[in-house]
Amino acid sequence: MTDEGNGQNRESPKEPAREGSVGLMEPPVATTKGDGPPINGALLLRAGSLMGFVLVIAYFALVAPGFLSVGNITNVLEQSAILGVLSFGMTIVMIAGGSNVITGGIDLSIANNLGLSAAVYAILLKTGQPDIVALSLTLLTGLAVGLLNAIAVVSIGILPLIATLTVMNICAGFELVITQNTVLQASSPLLAVLAGDGPFGIATLAYLLLIIGLILIAVIEYTPFGLRLYAVGGFREAALAAGLSVNRYIATSYILSGICASIGAVLSVALLSGSSTGSGDMLLSVVVTALLGVVFSRRLVPTISGSLLSVLFIGFLINGFQLTNISSYWVNGVEGLLILFAVATTSLVRRREA
Amino acid sequence: MALAKKPDLVLRTNGASIWEKLSVLYRLLLGITIGATIYWGTRQVSRADTSEPTPAPTIPAEEGLSLKGKTIGITVIGTDHYWDLRAYQGQIDEVKRLGGTPIALDGGRDDKRQISQIQTLISQKPDAIIEQLGTLSVLEPWLEKVVKAGIPLFTVDTASPASINDTTSDNFFIGEQLAVQLANDIHGEGNVLVFNGFYGVPVCAIRYDELKEVLKFYPKIKIIEPELRDVIPNTVQNAYAQVNEMLTKYPKGQIAAVWSAWDVPQVGATEAVDGAQRNEVKTYGVDGSPDVVALIKDQKSSAAAVVAQQPYLIGKTAVDNAARYLNGDHSLPPYSFVPALLVTKKNADEMQKFLGQRP
Repeated sequence: MTDEGNGQNRESPKEPAREGSVGLMEPPVATTKGDGPPINGALLLRAGSLMGFVLVIAYFALVAPGFLSVGNITNVLEQSAILGVLSFGMTIVMIAGGSNVITGGIDLSIANNLGLSAAVYAILLKTGQPDIVALSLTLLTGLAVGLLNAIAVVSIGILPLIATLTVMNICAGFELVITQNTVLQASSPLLAVLAGDGPFGIATLAYLLLIIGLILIAVIEYTPFGLRLYAVGGFREAALAAGLSVNRYIATSYILSGICASIGAVLSVALLSGSSTGSGDMLLSVVVTALLGVVFSRRLVPTISGSLLSVLFIGFLINGFQLTNISSYWVNGVEGLLILFAVATTSLVRRREA
Repeated sequence: MALAKKPDLVLRTNGASIWEKLSVLYRLLLGITIGATIYWGTRQVSRADTSEPTPAPTIPAEEGLSLKGKTIGITVIGTDHYWDLRAYQGQIDEVKRLGGTPIALDGGRDDKRQISQIQTLISQKPDAIIEQLGTLSVLEPWLEKVVKAGIPLFTVDTASPASINDTTSDNFFIGEQLAVQLANDIHGEGNVLVFNGFYGVPVCAIRYDELKEVLKFYPKIKIIEPELRDVIPNTVQNAYAQVNEMLTKYPKGQIAAVWSAWDVPQVGATEAVDGAQRNEVKTYGVDGSPDVVALIKDQKSSAAAVVAQQPYLIGKTAVDNAARYLNGDHSLPPYSFVPALLVTKKNADEMQKFLGQRP
């Protein structure tokens, strides 16, 4: 996941661009032309962030008993699964919408979409629907919310920040209507599998986080589709000039984000044996994860692999806190510090290098 | 949060000066993060807010109990309510008093977070785990995992088959006392507004059922339908708004009392009644938070009674039970009931002192 060598450009869409699959832009290269190795602030930041990650892990491995045990690592993966899937959705929207937080892509409805989808899933199971029906309708719910975001942003032209904030409220409202602000218990054969352990006694949710992550890394970072998403978000005029249907890509990103929310909902129902109130509280963590993911990428752009690293980093940090008996009250503060760090350094590097 | 002023993300290298400035800033921030982490790592569990006035009273000294060399995991769903915080503090303080090490975890009213904490707690293999409140259906599979891992499980106010002992108030008695007081205050006649939003929480269900049981014998007292639903969060504001609406809907003389299964909705209801100057309406609740006991003491307030629990003592008792079990006494009953006290306009002043809410 973390090739640290500076020779191979693993995540860069520039290679397909050179192959002419789109041919729409100057490669967003971060290398010096002329002499010297391709060293720049972004690369250093990435290397530094990875090193920070390794240092934190090393520190906890030294002081926290059992930190690197298989059981504990599985715990962290399992605990990170829901947040991870949501932050993948957020990352896709940030990629296609551009990462300017005010005008760029952001999906504030994602956490409440999870709440609504989980309520739909739980109530369908409760009313005796088979898994396949409940699952399909849940994914459709997430997709519909994504579509609503897409219409608001692309067709009506509302700023994503405002559009998705409105949709967030719609989701929260419908969730309350369905659940009456109570917890809906749910059980089904599928949920039993998801909540249980997979091969080698490792939790199914842990496998799912890695599988979904790897699939999305492949799709977003290694296919022409992913390249075009980056083009649409980073170089809108160029993408337009190249004849890309920019709006279609942006709309797709919101729909994918909606689907991620409903997948997260299914995982959440499995973990909590039902729907739960207060899903909206996850939003800040999702934003933190997606923004922190940026510092793990070579060019300081949102990437799925960066977000995966970021969700694991936060997961290990919280876990390490608990194992070393540090109060859980520090977690919010540290999340805030991380977001400040990620945003401050990335904007500084970008400003200096622009 | 603006990531970039320019919409495009093209990066160019600009020479050594950027590197220097960047590296200084970067080291600084990374240093702060890691330094702080290391510093915190050397600290013990920080306690929950300890600014409460005085420790709870009436704690019987338990001789011969010890938790020396033992680690006790404490997991609570949240500490935003007075009751939760005091019970949490009672546990932490008692573990320390008995010479043990608490691993105290606050779920921040987030089921997912509490589950994660329990999961990690299991891998830490403490000598016992004490769980306080939370959504039972969510918790149950994880409480079973605690038992499967061979860790003795105790609960506070949470009746679970997985738990060796549940320390709680006698909620049957609480419900009955409150209902009888209400019926008496309104002379066995009138309409009652009832907040019944948490029937899914067993203790609330017991109190509500006891109210119904008592009212069976007071045929002139009617519960207004549909019942009101209290919510979390924004409990006070929400209850205020709902009661305000009902006061408009039912003119003077048509509502005699407002009942809720805990005292946070009672605060909102009391504010609404007092604000509307409908002093014929009286409010009732359970828990005995200091602000509510103070309202009851205020003769002008519509708050008529609250059954005060002793959360600090409940937390302490749960730890004592765990200590007893770990010291080989396996004869614990499944429930330990800690007495609750009825606070009315007549005894509020004295109760404030007894509950440790004033010097």
